[in-house]
Amino acid sequence: MTTKNKNNNRESFLNRVASSLGRERPYNVQRPDIKSMMPDSYGTLTGADLIDILKEQCFFIHTQLIESTPEILQQTLDDLIAANGGGSVITSGDSRFACYDLSFQGSTEWSEAAGREENISRSETANTVVVFADYVLAESGTIVVESRPDQGRALHFLPEHYIAIIERERIVLRSTQAAAALNRRIEAGEPVGSSINFISGPSNSADIEMQLVVGVHGPLRATYVLI
Amino acid sequence: MSLKTDKREFGERTADGIGNTFMRSAVSSAQDSLKTRRLTAATALGDWEAWRLVGQTIRQHTLKNLDFYLNQLADNIEARGGHIYFAATKEEASSYIRDVVVSKQARKIVKSKSMVTEEIEMNKVLIEAGCDLIETDLGEYILQIDDWDPPSHIVAPALHKDRNQIKRVFTEKLGYTGDESPEKLARHARAVLRQKFLEADVGITGCNFAVANMGAINLVTNEGNGDLTAAIPKTQIAVMGMERIVPTMEEMEVLDNLLCRSAVGQKLTSYITVMGPKAPGESDGPDEFHLVVVDNGRSEILGSEFNEALQCIRCGACLNVCPIYRHIGGHAYGSIYPGPIGAVITPLLGGYDDYKELPFASSLCGACTDVCPVKIPLHEQLIMHRQNIVKEKRTGAADRFQMKAASRLLSSPSLFGKVLRLANPGSRMMSKHGRIVRGPGLIQGWVGVRDLNQPVKQADSFRTWMKERQGGTKQ
Repeated sequence: MTTKNKNNNRESFLNRVASSLGRERPYNVQRPDIKSMMPDSYGTLTGADLIDILKEQCFFIHTQLIESTPEILQQTLDDLIAANGGGSVITSGDSRFACYDLSFQGSTEWSEAAGREENISRSETANTVVVFADYVLAESGTIVVESRPDQGRALHFLPEHYIAIIERERIVLRSTQAAAALNRRIEAGEPVGSSINFISGPSNSADIEMQLVVGVHGPLRATYVLI
Repeated sequence: MSLKTDKREFGERTADGIGNTFMRSAVSSAQDSLKTRRLTAATALGDWEAWRLVGQTIRQHTLKNLDFYLNQLADNIEARGGHIYFAATKEEASSYIRDVVVSKQARKIVKSKSMVTEEIEMNKVLIEAGCDLIETDLGEYILQIDDWDPPSHIVAPALHKDRNQIKRVFTEKLGYTGDESPEKLARHARAVLRQKFLEADVGITGCNFAVANMGAINLVTNEGNGDLTAAIPKTQIAVMGMERIVPTMEEMEVLDNLLCRSAVGQKLTSYITVMGPKAPGESDGPDEFHLVVVDNGRSEILGSEFNEALQCIRCGACLNVCPIYRHIGGHAYGSIYPGPIGAVITPLLGGYDDYKELPFASSLCGACTDVCPVKIPLHEQLIMHRQNIVKEKRTGAADRFQMKAASRLLSSPSLFGKVLRLANPGSRMMSKHGRIVRGPGLIQGWVGVRDLNQPVKQADSFRTWMKERQGGTKQ
């Protein structure tokens, strides 16, 4: 539904807000310049520094980080998949799988043609999922992925083992840089996925006696493969 | 669950909390660990005070222009094919949600953690409508299967239970046969709830922040249940308090950093997602997306002397440092919002009639104010509540009489001197071994939980001593 819903109380609600604020409804608002207020933590960090920061953080978020190269990537992934119990693999339909000439035995793919039920069922039955990261945030050990027709939301949450391939040049220091880049796209009116996921390691919970349990509703294990 | 979680009097509730030694040890160890984790994560960010100032600036700017940003949000949600509904009251909010669920002929609902859905009593309304509603956050799920035990902390709702209690509930209600290890309990819940996700018709989530220029909502979680709730069911309903909005992802990023570090001491939680209605070509996510914006008393706080309370990002850091929360626990507040922020906002949302005691459940030490990532002057707001409550003569007649007497006594040096001379002989009946053990009114309240020395004899008093040694002036 793209037409304005007349019965959603919008006007009366917003008028009440304006009256609480003691003024008319504003038509234009300037955002505060928060960038100038934010401490600059980037400084003179190099690419190698970022990798060191990422490695250290991965330790804290219970995520294995494996260094590989494009040449041996297939072997690295095959070993990883076998070490985590083998089983079926699902990947996104990312074109980088073809670029790096990757394929997995008996694997399935999230695809637009398969539709909701089939894609969810493929993800639910897969033991391992392999995806490519769009951005990587060193400080928090985070990968950023976006939903697309060839990469659904549930893909990141249903399999037990989560593998994200990280290309070095996609590493930035922290969420500030990724949020700014994404917001530039939004402000420019470019389409973005309906779900933008910042994922930092496997799922976890401390709801029982504040004791950390790694692996709750989402993946039980996460591995980043750096190339 | 509604805002109110306990119908008993405040005194009964606190006595219950203070007497519950298990709960008190669980709360104090949780507080200690969360305090340390928060401090480590805040220090790691570098210049925490500068970040707090950015957080405060963002929240104040957004509140000052709330109507503008909500309007922008509504335009963008509708442009993406979603629905937005503005609910003035909790009844409007929960009936809208019920109507959506009924129109989808949905029965199976999965839900991720949301405080505002508790506030609007949504679960009750949906269950009465015949829905099979499942809380999927591990802590909330534990409370649900334990016959809807109320939450006792904003972030860790089942903080008051230990592993043995949880195991007992799992065994009774889920036929669980394992031991009490948190891993095994969590793994069992995962298996039970995975099936619920796959079968659900509707997913209901809260909203940490709506992002106005995207027409999207931001969820900050660790377990992955929020994302599954927004991925698998064909309909998603998200519910937000009207003040939980940011202009863009840039402001969201700052607040998420403050939130994760303050709440659980993580740099970022495992899953931070910005989500909206499913886009064309995508396979999962909601075909139908509804966002319900809830006022329920907030517009009366907006622009009032308590305006800054609306800056709250629900991190729970103020609970984790509060000496009162430590001793009485979350349930004693009788509100889904406990701790210092609960003592500020519960009376605003639920009225002084029911919650006039909460602002007094504070030592005014100000630890809450110091730790708040968006700089809400919490203890000052508690004092403002106390002033209102006294002004409106809502304290008991006996309290008022004693306060009046104390004020007369303390403002007259000659009267004070006379009473001081009588204090020792006058307190003899109430004392034992140099300590007052019982007394009227406020004195009993104090000596019930603390020591109070019996006033010394006139001849031994400091004033006499001073006069003898330095020849001080006669009062």
